[in-house]
Amino acid sequence: MKVFIVDIDKCNGCYGCQVACKDEHVGNVWEPYSLPQPNTGHFWMRVKEREHGQVPKVRVEYTPWPCMHCDDPKCAAAAPDAVYRRDDGLVIIDPVRAKGRRELVDACPYDAVFYNEELDVAQKCTGCAHLVDEGKLPHCVDLCATGGLRFGDEEEFAEEIARAETFVPEPGCRPRVYYLNLPHLFLAGDVWDPAENEIVEGASVTLTLPDGSTRQTATDDFGDFSFRRIDEGVYSLFIEVDGFEPVERRDIDLRESLNLGDFPLTRN
Amino acid sequence: MSNTIKTSIKTMGFCGPCSASEPAEVDVKDGRIVRIRPFDYQSSAGGEPLARWSIKARGHEFKAAEKSEITPFALATKHRVYSPNRILYPMKRADWDPKGRRNPQNRGKSKYVRISWDEATQLIADEVRRVHERYGVNSIFVQSDGHHQVKTLHGPRGCEGALLDALGGYCLQARNPDSWEGWYWGAKHIWGCDPVGEGDQQNLFYDVAQNTDTVLFWGCDVVTTPWGWGGHFPSRYCFFLRDIGVRQIYICPDVNYGAAVHADKWIPVLPNTDAALQLAIAHTWIKEGTYDRKYLDTHAVGFDWFEYHARGGDDGIEKTPEWAEGVCGVPARIIKALARSWAKQNVSIAHGNGGSYIRSTYSHEPARFEVALLGMQALGHPGRNQLKMMEYQLFSLPQQTPIPRSRFIPNLFSVLLPYAADQRDSLVPETLVPEALAGDYTHEKPLTWYGCTVAGVPVEDQFRPLQYPAEGSERIHMVWIDSPKWTSSWNGGYCYIEALHSDLIECVVAQHIWMEDDCLLADIILPVNTKFEERDINCDIMSGNYNTLVLEEQSVEPLGESKSDWECAVAVAEKLGVADELTGGASLEDKMRIGFENSGVQDYLSFEEFLEKKSYIVPPAEGWEDDPAGFYGFYIDPQANPLTTPSGLIEYYSSRLAEEFPDDEERKPYPRWIEKGETHPDERLGAERAKRYPYLLVSNHPHWRLHSQLDDCAWFREIKTCKVAGPDGYAYEPVWVNPADAKHLGLASGDVVKIYNDRGWTMGGVYVTERIRPGAVLQDHGARMDPIELGVSDRGGTNNLIAPKAIASKNCAGEVTSGYLVGVEKVDVFELARQYPEAFSRPYDPETGPLHIVDAWLDNVQV
Repeated sequence: MKVFIVDIDKCNGCYGCQVACKDEHVGNVWEPYSLPQPNTGHFWMRVKEREHGQVPKVRVEYTPWPCMHCDDPKCAAAAPDAVYRRDDGLVIIDPVRAKGRRELVDACPYDAVFYNEELDVAQKCTGCAHLVDEGKLPHCVDLCATGGLRFGDEEEFAEEIARAETFVPEPGCRPRVYYLNLPHLFLAGDVWDPAENEIVEGASVTLTLPDGSTRQTATDDFGDFSFRRIDEGVYSLFIEVDGFEPVERRDIDLRESLNLGDFPLTRN
Repeated sequence: MSNTIKTSIKTMGFCGPCSASEPAEVDVKDGRIVRIRPFDYQSSAGGEPLARWSIKARGHEFKAAEKSEITPFALATKHRVYSPNRILYPMKRADWDPKGRRNPQNRGKSKYVRISWDEATQLIADEVRRVHERYGVNSIFVQSDGHHQVKTLHGPRGCEGALLDALGGYCLQARNPDSWEGWYWGAKHIWGCDPVGEGDQQNLFYDVAQNTDTVLFWGCDVVTTPWGWGGHFPSRYCFFLRDIGVRQIYICPDVNYGAAVHADKWIPVLPNTDAALQLAIAHTWIKEGTYDRKYLDTHAVGFDWFEYHARGGDDGIEKTPEWAEGVCGVPARIIKALARSWAKQNVSIAHGNGGSYIRSTYSHEPARFEVALLGMQALGHPGRNQLKMMEYQLFSLPQQTPIPRSRFIPNLFSVLLPYAADQRDSLVPETLVPEALAGDYTHEKPLTWYGCTVAGVPVEDQFRPLQYPAEGSERIHMVWIDSPKWTSSWNGGYCYIEALHSDLIECVVAQHIWMEDDCLLADIILPVNTKFEERDINCDIMSGNYNTLVLEEQSVEPLGESKSDWECAVAVAEKLGVADELTGGASLEDKMRIGFENSGVQDYLSFEEFLEKKSYIVPPAEGWEDDPAGFYGFYIDPQANPLTTPSGLIEYYSSRLAEEFPDDEERKPYPRWIEKGETHPDERLGAERAKRYPYLLVSNHPHWRLHSQLDDCAWFREIKTCKVAGPDGYAYEPVWVNPADAKHLGLASGDVVKIYNDRGWTMGGVYVTERIRPGAVLQDHGARMDPIELGVSDRGGTNNLIAPKAIASKNCAGEVTSGYLVGVEKVDVFELARQYPEAFSRPYDPETGPLHIVDAWLDNVQV
């Protein structure tokens, strides 16, 4: 059974996969799997882009987002006659039977099905089944130079799948696209001594998570601290270091990654 | 189905001949390109095991790839073959009549009529003869600009020049060091380092992996510029650096595309204030005694001058971190932290060309300061060098690559046009073209400047006084351009447009693939092929993984009536009766064989075998691990391994600059902080002028273009960082604005703004983002010009039109195309459309943007 592995830590956000999908499918018919993709507006492989943080602690998260080739696809439930699952797990919208079947677009909880107005047909990622049949990789995977996007048999990726996350927008979704190293959110800041106009290295920073557990770190040689891979919720932060009054910040309502800014400490 | 697919190999990088990159496999079916795939090194190794180099460090391994690492640019290039902006037949400006009125004032305004090849070549030949007879050969100006694909036998780069040389010569637009400005004009005087002023690279990927703690990516974007000159290889190396725990700090005004994914830390500096930051780092080291004084005693001269300036001895300003904070916007405590962290570790500095760091006013200063800082921390010590993330083996030089050495560097020099190394006397640097075309210069009162005759020549060239018109030559009266991009990529495009409206310029010929940029200003236009339509041979030496000689078979038939640049030149040569002189009697197949037989590959493979195998991958050299890294030899023994400065040492004070330019108050013998000078009196935030134009514009190499190429790629234009849709449906070039500045300006994402200064205005679509620091706005360069009021205003976001016209500094003919002052103001696009109905109602394709040929610029009355 085929799976996609997406390693966010190896993705440089080039959109090569999104563009490769167009290269492969715009103007090309791959019978019996797909009719041509429109030049624009369809993203059978989409790159989602999200900015995290505020100056000067800013990162960009890119998430390649194809059809999830679900074990139990919602699109197939909506139109069983127009959607089928191959023996290798790739989910195919039949380009003949999906004529006029707009309901397929709404059926997909991943927004991965698109409607081709010109050809009057629902379309999506085929996993480049026409290439897989020849023992080749999907074009988007073939084009990925950094190892961010991989494709193959479930068995060969057992280790990755064991530590991967998936997106499950609705109960019952059983996607076959596995994500490694999703960044989630971060909380960051920096600590300094205004009396000397110097950063403070080695300050102990303790974060209390919404569930009451704590994480602890120390400021680095720029006075920076950060807590990565945390999720939405209400947090509190405690900073202490010898020679200074401790600082506490409560009720940090984290919805997006946040640079808390600078923490000037007062000498005691 | 696959059995009907025919595959050819094409290199997809953009650098230049003998410097190709990104080989790709192009699948063609029924005469159309189906797809573009990575080149499979493994299966092209001809059954032999692929010899891959491997860097092992800190428990990880970084290896040469098994297939090429092509970028979205390669895929979009397919898209460009079928662009609606392709020029498919020769054209003539409707109101340009060589026998009557030439109407130069209408260049860029009047439309075109289709003409035959016979008529076009006859018109050009007649004009060439007329100009030669009336003024002389040097009155034809050849502009071979950067808007090209990489070809060997087919040009572009100066095919028309080769033709004109067959008739006695021409005046050359000299290739200035546009990619390296500050390094060229500055760093060469402190550490030598010809050809372009950047440091020796040999074996640095290995050295950094083994020895470096922190890499400072200073004004460097490893995920943008390498796309045009090498591919994904540098980004893959940065992922490896993360795996082995090398800290990556980005110092730049923006979270560029490299910083977005690779940075462990971002230090947002105001554009072109890096010199202040650097001085404050030096000041901290001097004050705390944390630099290598013993090294300087043996490896440097003139450090006392530098120290004197840092302490404020010459200008009364002590360059403390607190002072620098007020100039560069980086908090003093962060500057001190950076200085101290650096002094404790092995630090290398990485670059990828372009941007405000090295292409702004007085760019020679940050370049020199960087070398000064590297010297203070014992340049060449393991792990302490200057690292380049692109342009591997620049100019085919082995010391210009940080990658494990290849057994040899293949070349095709034997069949290249002489353009790349042309050093004729009759020339104008790229940065002074408008002045030369229409300025009031005579032999008695000529336009004068120093160097550069061609980027990459030894530093002495900078001391060579030059003038226009050249002695014994009349001024320019005809212009012949290939791969035009002056308006969109050089300094002060509106001045160029104005110059081409001069009566002095009687004929302008452009040959190009697409109807873009300066094509709109031509009198005669010749249609050129894309490389997919040509059969050629290329040397990939910049991809990083391997050096590869590639047979580039023709993928598809030429579109329309297009020809290659070379064939254009031959067609005109036939009219002039000099075709044999131009070709030397050699066919293109002959030239390919000659090129191959002198490439270095002929020792391993016959020409016939090469034609069959279609590529040759050069294996890595034996023993590359033992190559001394970067400046290690100099570090160990500066007397035995001197620099190319006069003293052989790092010259904090350049006695040569002191001798050659004793009166230059801008580029003094030692680097300084220059708040203002006679060339650029008011281009900083502290200037009075900044009250009217309060933001510094960062204009990097474009992320979604290669200069002005690829701007019409529909597949890019729907990506949110590529274009911003305005309320009128026009896709505007993004301008990044920090939320704090956006609030002050009353702007939100999706608003449309005018970007302006006293040189004119262009437009942009607002992208409010934390990726740009306050006080700076960012708009990439190279968007296609879409004139509103020609020479005054532009809708396309072609910000080079309003870049400073003045050169980098008094005696440095470099460009200033980033880090200059602009104002930003919200506009009502519907009101503008009422004000400029013609410009705002030109045909527009929502997918590809302005349609420059279809209807817009073609006269309906066709022949």
